[in-house]
Parts: sequence; C-alpha cells; structure tokens
Amino acid sequence: MELGYGQDRTQRLMREKVQDKWMDAYAPVRHLDPVLVGIALLLTAIGVVMIYSAKAHVTPETGPALARALATKQLVSFGIGLAAMVLAAVFDYRYFRAYSVVLYLASLIGLAVVLTPLGVEVNGQQAWLAVGGFQFQPAELAKVAVIVALATVLHERREDPGFVTVVLSLVVIGLPLGLIMLQPDLGSATVFLWMAFIMLLAGGVLARYLVGLAILGGVGFMAVIRYGLLQEHQIQRLTAFLDPAGSDARYVYNGEQSMIAIGSGQVFGKGLFNGTQTNLAYVPENHTDFIFTVVGEELGFFGASIVLGLFILLVWRGLRIGMMAKDRFGMLLAIGTVGMLVFQVFVNVGMGIGIMPVIGIPLPFVSYGGTSLIASFVLVGLLLNVHMRRF
Amino acid sequence: MSNNEATSALRLTLVAGVIVALFLALFGRLWFLQVLAGERFAALAESNRVQIVVLEPPRGRILAADGEELVKNRPAQTISAHKRELLNGLGEPRDEQAEKVLARLSQLLSIPVDEIVERMNSRKYSPHRPVPIAVDVPPELIFAVSEHQELFPGIEAETLPVRTYPHGTTAAHLVGYTGEISQEDLEQPQFADYRQGDLIGWAGLEKTYEPYLHGEEGMRKLEVNAKGIVQANLGGREPARGDDLWTSLDLDLQRATERILQEGIVASREIQRDDGRFLPSVAGSAVVLDARDSSVVAIASWPTYDPSEFVGGVSFDYWGWLQDPANQYPLIDRAIQSAYPPGSVFKTVTGAAALEAGIVGPSTPVSCPPSWELGNITFRNWNPRHEGSLDLAGALRRSCDTYFYELAAQQWVRETNQLNETGKVDEILPRVAHDFGFGRTLGIDLPSERSGQVPSRAWRTAYWAEHKDTYCAKAESLPPGYARDINADLCRDGGRWRGGDAVNSSIGQGDVLATPLQVAASYAAIANGGTLYAPRIGQRIVSSEGETVAEFSPEALGRLPVDEAGLAAIRAGLRDVVMHERGTGRLAFTLADFPLDSIPVAGKTGTAELKPKVPYAWFASYAPADDPRYVVVVSVEEGGGGSQTAAPIAARILQAAFGLDVAPFVAGPANVD
Repeated sequence: MELGYGQDRTQRLMREKVQDKWMDAYAPVRHLDPVLVGIALLLTAIGVVMIYSAKAHVTPETGPALARALATKQLVSFGIGLAAMVLAAVFDYRYFRAYSVVLYLASLIGLAVVLTPLGVEVNGQQAWLAVGGFQFQPAELAKVAVIVALATVLHERREDPGFVTVVLSLVVIGLPLGLIMLQPDLGSATVFLWMAFIMLLAGGVLARYLVGLAILGGVGFMAVIRYGLLQEHQIQRLTAFLDPAGSDARYVYNGEQSMIAIGSGQVFGKGLFNGTQTNLAYVPENHTDFIFTVVGEELGFFGASIVLGLFILLVWRGLRIGMMAKDRFGMLLAIGTVGMLVFQVFVNVGMGIGIMPVIGIPLPFVSYGGTSLIASFVLVGLLLNVHMRRF
Repeated sequence: MSNNEATSALRLTLVAGVIVALFLALFGRLWFLQVLAGERFAALAESNRVQIVVLEPPRGRILAADGEELVKNRPAQTISAHKRELLNGLGEPRDEQAEKVLARLSQLLSIPVDEIVERMNSRKYSPHRPVPIAVDVPPELIFAVSEHQELFPGIEAETLPVRTYPHGTTAAHLVGYTGEISQEDLEQPQFADYRQGDLIGWAGLEKTYEPYLHGEEGMRKLEVNAKGIVQANLGGREPARGDDLWTSLDLDLQRATERILQEGIVASREIQRDDGRFLPSVAGSAVVLDARDSSVVAIASWPTYDPSEFVGGVSFDYWGWLQDPANQYPLIDRAIQSAYPPGSVFKTVTGAAALEAGIVGPSTPVSCPPSWELGNITFRNWNPRHEGSLDLAGALRRSCDTYFYELAAQQWVRETNQLNETGKVDEILPRVAHDFGFGRTLGIDLPSERSGQVPSRAWRTAYWAEHKDTYCAKAESLPPGYARDINADLCRDGGRWRGGDAVNSSIGQGDVLATPLQVAASYAAIANGGTLYAPRIGQRIVSSEGETVAEFSPEALGRLPVDEAGLAAIRAGLRDVVMHERGTGRLAFTLADFPLDSIPVAGKTGTAELKPKVPYAWFASYAPADDPRYVVVVSVEEGGGGSQTAAPIAARILQAAFGLDVAPFVAGPANVD
C-alpha cells in the first residue's frame, strides 16, 4: 500500500482525482500516515527501554523496582498519548481554528495557575501542576496551544503579512513566554522563541520583519547576558559548555559526564544495561533530560544514529505533510510541529554532546515525562489530521 | 498567488535546509565523540568507574644482631578523605553532599571544616591516596566512619603502618628517620617507582637500605558510583612488606655506650683546667667495632635526637631545636660525619710511615727531648722532662712528640731533596695514611660519611692557590705583629710544603683531619693483624617470609703497609699505653677498676689542639690486647686531654662490652698527653 507514495506527485494527484470522482468512499482514515505513526511508536518504545536502563542497575536493591515504576508510568502516559493522538486526529483540524482562542486561554490559565501555590516546585522550577494524583507540566501543553494559535493568526492574516501580523504574533507568543520565564523554565522559553520564528518564516511574514526580529533577538540575548536580567548561575549554566576549563565545576559536571558517557560508547556501545556511567549514576537526570546519554553509552554511535535517523524520518514526514497541506493553517501546524521537534532534538542531544548549553529540554517521545509524551502524540495527531484532510 | 506559493516553497526549503544543517552538526559531533575520540572517553569512563587506592607497604624492620627490633611498624588507626570525591577542581567542596559529609567529619573529629579542606588541598599529599585527616583515632570514631559509610562517602577508616622505635632514642643516628620523598628525589631514576607522598629514608640505615626496606605498594581497584560509594571490589594486589635489615649492632652494648658516653662527657665538665676553667666537653662520639672485621657493634653520638619526632612529619618547634647552634646540631652523627685533628692517636700511622720510609727500624732508639728545633722554631714535647731514648713502641707508650718530629723532619728533608733532584716525590705519609684508612671514605653503610684529610704537597699548593688572596689581604690590613708576619709569609710562600707542616702532620695536627670511624677502622686493622676492613652495620636482608635476600660479608679494603716486625712494635707500644706502669692511658683504667690482668687492653691517647678551642680528647683502643675482640674509639669535642676525658669513657665501654660491672665516673686524672 505504501508503494504508491514513492511515485510522482502529479501522477498520484491524478489518480486520487479519479478516485475522488469515482469513489465516494475516500474517508480520511484511509490517508493516515502509517510511517509517521510507526516512527512515533518506535521512538516511544526505545524511550521506555532506555528509561528502564537508566535506573535499573544504579542500586541492586531499589534500582529494578524504581526502573519498573518509571517505565510503567511512561507506558501509562503513552496510553493516554495514544488516545490524545486519536482525539487530535479525528475532528477536522479546521475546527481547531475556531477553538484556538479557547485552547490558548486555557493554556495561559494553566501557566498562571502553576505559579500559584497550587504548582509544585521541582529542581527550582515551579513547573508542575498536581491534579488528582497526576502531575503535569502546563508548558508542554501550551506548546501545542501556541502552535495552533499562531497558525490561526498567520492563517487569518495571510493576505497582510506585515507589521500588524507580526505584532499580533508576538503578543500571542509573548504572554505564555512571560509566564514560563517566571517559573523559570529557560528551556521551554527558547523552544517557544524558535518555534515562533520558524512559523513566522513559513507563514509568509515579510522578510524585513524576520530579519528585524532576528536582530532584535540577538541584541536582546546579549542584553540579557550583559545586564544581568538572568541570574549569575543561569548565565554560567548557559556559557559553561563554551569553556569547560574556565567555568565553575558545578556547571560543567553534567555536560562533562554526559560527554564521557556518550563518547565512551564508541561505535557499538557497551551493550544494553551495561553502561558504567549510567549504572553508577555519573550522569544526573539521565532518565529525563539526559536520556540520550544512555542511548549513546549503551548502544554507541550505531544506536545514536538509529535514534537520530528516526527523528529525521519523522521530520521528513512532517515537512512533507506541511508541503502537501490543503491550506496555510494546516501547513503552519505541520511546520510548527516539525520546528519544535527539531529544536528539542537538537538542543537535547546537543547539550549531551557539548555543543549546546545545559538547559532542561526533554527529548520528544524518548525522555521520561508524561506531559511531554502526551503533547508529542497530540502533535502527531495534528500532523495526521492535516495529512488525512489534504484534499 | 503563484508568486506567493513560490515564496512559500522557498521558505519551506529554507526551513528544511536549516534542519539538515542541525542534524549534520549532531552527526558530526557524535562521530567525533564516539568514533574519533571514543577511546579517550572510554578511558575517562573507566577512570570514573574504577578508583585505584594505593596501599602503602609497611617498611621492613631494622634488627639488632640478636633479632631485637630497633625499628618496627605499629598500626595506626587513621581517618582519611578521598580528595577527588569531596572536592572539585578548585579545591572546594564539590557539592552539597560533600559539604554535609565534611561538616559531619568536622563534628566527629572536632577539626574545623576549613582545616580539613586545607589539609586535603595540601600539596604534601599524593592525589592517588586518601589524605590522612586524623591519625591515632580512638576506635569508636573509626567504627562510626566504617559502619556508617552512607553518612561518610569519600571518607575512609584505614590502618596505616607507622614507624615506631621500641627503644626510644637508642641508635637514633644509625637507624635514621623517614620522611616524605622530596621533589628532587622524585626526579631521580632510582625513585622512578615512587610517587608524591611516599615515605623514604631520610637518614641513617633507613636511607642506605631504602630499596630493601621500602617494600612494594599494593593497590585496590574499587568500583565507585558518582557519590563515591563503593559498589564492588575489583581485586588488586596486597602490599608487600619491606625486607628486614639485620645489623651487627649489639643492642645492650649500644645502649650502654650511649649512656656511658653521655655520662662521661657530662662528668668531664667537672674537670678544671690549668687556667681554672672547667672543660666545655660540648659533644662527642664513641665507636665500637668488631676488631676482626670492623663490623659495627655500637656507635654513639652525643647529643642525640628522637627519631619518633619525625613520624608523620617533624614539628616546626623540634626542627628549630635541632637546628639551633646552642644545641650542637644533634642530627650530626659525629662518629662518621665530623672530622677532627686526630692528634696522637695518629702516631701509629706516622710510626708506620717512618718504618716504611726506612728512616728507623722498629727498635731503633731515638732521643725524646722536651723540646726540638727546626730552623728557628722550637717544637715542644708535652712532657717538659727529657725521656731519654725511645724505640717506636716506647715512643707510642710515652706518646713522645719529639720522637716523631725528628723522624718527620728527616723524611721531609729526604723528600725535598728527592723533589729537587728528580722533580718527583714519593710522599710516604699520605700514602701510608691512605692505606690505614685516612683521607678517604671507608664506605660504611651510612649516608654522608666524611673523608677527613691527610695533607700532601699537592694539597698544600692547591689550598694555597685558593686562599692566597685572603692571606695577602690580611698581610696588608692587620696591625704589625705576629699574625701579620705569618700572613705575609703565607701570602708570599704559602704553597710550599715546609718542614713545619711535615712535623705538625706527624702528631696528627696541622691539617690532618680524621673521623672517629677512620681511627677505629685503622686500629681494628692493627688489632686484627693488618687487614683494613670497611666498617659495616648491615649484615643481611631477610624478606618477610624469612628468606635471606642478601648477605653482606666484610669487605677488605687492603693490607696495612707494615711488615710483621713493625706491626708487632706498634702493637707492643699500644699495649704499653695501658698496660705499662708509665703508659699514658693506664690511670683511666686503674681508676675504673678495670681487670687489666684478665683482659689486657691496648690503646692510644690523643689530645688534639684546635686553637683557640679547648683541645679535643681522643682515646683509641682494642681489647683483649693479645686476641682483640673489640675496638673502642672515643672522641670528645673540647674535652681536654685524651687520658682525662676520652680514656675513662672507653674503659667503661670496654667494661660493658666484656660484661663487667661498669664503674661510675670519678674525678678524672690529670692530663698526661
């Protein structure tokens, strides 16, 4: 069935027009992208195994139990994610445009509530909400809401991609961004900025505004560093990877240990469950933000390449869906999703291998963390939705 | 719209391009880390995982001849800290956990955290070994640390071997002491296997026998996790204890010798000199050799020091005390590291030289006047009365200076003529002295042995060349008088070996310098029938399993250049010094109630001038005189006459050596030499 996808686009369109004409039964479900779904499932499966491996052998007494508990919770989240994906895919995505305001406001409320005493602080970040024994990160869901909201704005104002559009978009981005910076969650904040830029670019905003925004961003970044809008330790954290020898050991340690873990995996890795850096807990947070160190150490360059390759396939499917989308809204949903995934992969893997600062960003599908996993599946659902209704 | 679509496609392509670039960056970096630099990171991971703990080997013991321990090790309960697990690269606590651990440790040991951190950062300690924070810790604290490792990750309770001296300061100068290896030593090839923080012998036998005593360090490989908690023992190697050194020392006699030397020196300070002043007797030494092969039975040097002060690093105060000139530098082993004018104990050598030169035979009578002229200078005998004519034995017995002046002067004339005629000269005294063991190191197995000095014509010329400027300057600056004239003379003509030099050398004065050990070795050679041996303390090396690793037999350095008749004459003279009614050394033995009838003693007194100081007292002896077993040499700095101060000490050491009751010190006899 998949064979047809390799064929010439025109031929396929013609064939599909014929099908349109003659077959009344072209239900969207027939146009699912099984490759996309397959990749998401595969990455999730790898993630569950890696999460288990990250903790299973840390201590002989409690390790296996802890690892099983984490893997189980991740599998539960996966189940919820699957349901959310179906939900995101079944209703025509164009309805979302109408409800984007509701979604957006809901996410703003979530981000605001997390800052109140209802929120839970973990590792110095007020990023969690506890609801009925379940914890989730509003920022993860806000990513989805912002993609939808921004796509709506850019779609509605597609005939006038000028100043007003840019300002509107900046407002849409700025509100959640500000709330996230209050947590503070530097990682999510950068994800938002990047995603917005990619969407403005893809959304047809005039080039001069894009250049202007890029310059503004650069200057703003310098100002933040120079004039102490960030705290000293945050700046150190951001810049330590550039000069490990000259930086405070506290900020270098994580990056250093994860590089040792990944580098020591060499070509084929030390074998699943056999990573010494992993099992002796030299890399902190290696079930969440540093999950890639487990992949790199235990499966080597070989395994790391497979994981990155799966992401490349995912990105390819996403771009393809964006290009084939029926309208600008669909295209922007797809590009926003792809842009966000790519950025998260790049920063997450990049910080593990010493080319990006250590900022807390999960590896989509793979890192332990329910909200992130569910959000990722919602985005897959949106991609499927756009793809299924491309005619 | 088509334009719009084209733009859109272009933008999507741009996005795709950026994405490709990002992934390329990731792949490139991964390729570098895992493939190109993978081995380096694998090594880093291994060094993370495996911690190598170096286990210091206990040093070998040093044993007396009967196996009694002079130095051994005692286990000291120690609490140590692993620097790598507690401090970061800047030497500060690594994280909150490390801070908590250090705070707990500080409370446990009552040592401020700052002090602990400072100690851990001290360059004194090896980075490969836990830094000892507290030594000799009570068992309950050791228990607290070892049983609650979860509270003290990175802290270790261990048992370290520590040097201990069961007999206190006994044989301190021989045993020596240990200390941490210095940076300079670490660069030496023989210390290639050593690392910073290792203990090595700094002095004495500890230093000489370092390669045997040190042992082989062990190591333990431990798998540790990121918190520094040991996960598994990966094996390793136990440390191998250093080999034991068996010495020739007689512990009881060593102890007695030290006691007698000290008591004798202190007692001699009661003796009043002719000018009414008391003898200073500031320091001294005593050597007891086995007369048959010069193996060391006992060596004492006073004042002495306490080697246990060096365990774990010598304190500032104690080091200051050791280096204060008022305390006579107790670290110096005066028996081998001090060279003095030997005075009359050197007459055996001069006598042998006269025989060797053929100036006299053993029984040729030579006059012994109270004074003797050379040119316009008068040299005096110690005795203002004429002693008649004496043969060699008689001259030794009476220690007749003028006898030796006469022979030295004749020899000097002969050598000077020889030099003038042929341009070459065979200088008898330096050659014979060398064969008696003077003017050279003997190779005893202790560090820093001095060679002493026997002057010759060449030596005089070289010495003059070096000091000429000083003489000439003094000749200019000093007020007119005797000193100025002397310096003017030396400035003009000081490089010449004169008759006066030869005459002074003949009685062990002038520029002759000898260590007590050299005197002892030369008397041992006389005693044993003419073979000069290198004195030696170490007898054999025995491994901890009881296997003899090395054995050191006596090393003969050569034969004395004296024929049998000559040697017999010298021995007869030395015997008479103590046994003859008119011998210079007799009184010291009779006053000590020494049973000379059953144990005849041979010896020689010496009173070496070193103006303006009070003379240095010497006594060199061996006993029994007919079948010698022990050689005893005593020298006391500024101790006055040899018969006054040194001979009484030697007599009592011989009493101890032969298991007799040791007489208490009494007011000494008048000086007779």
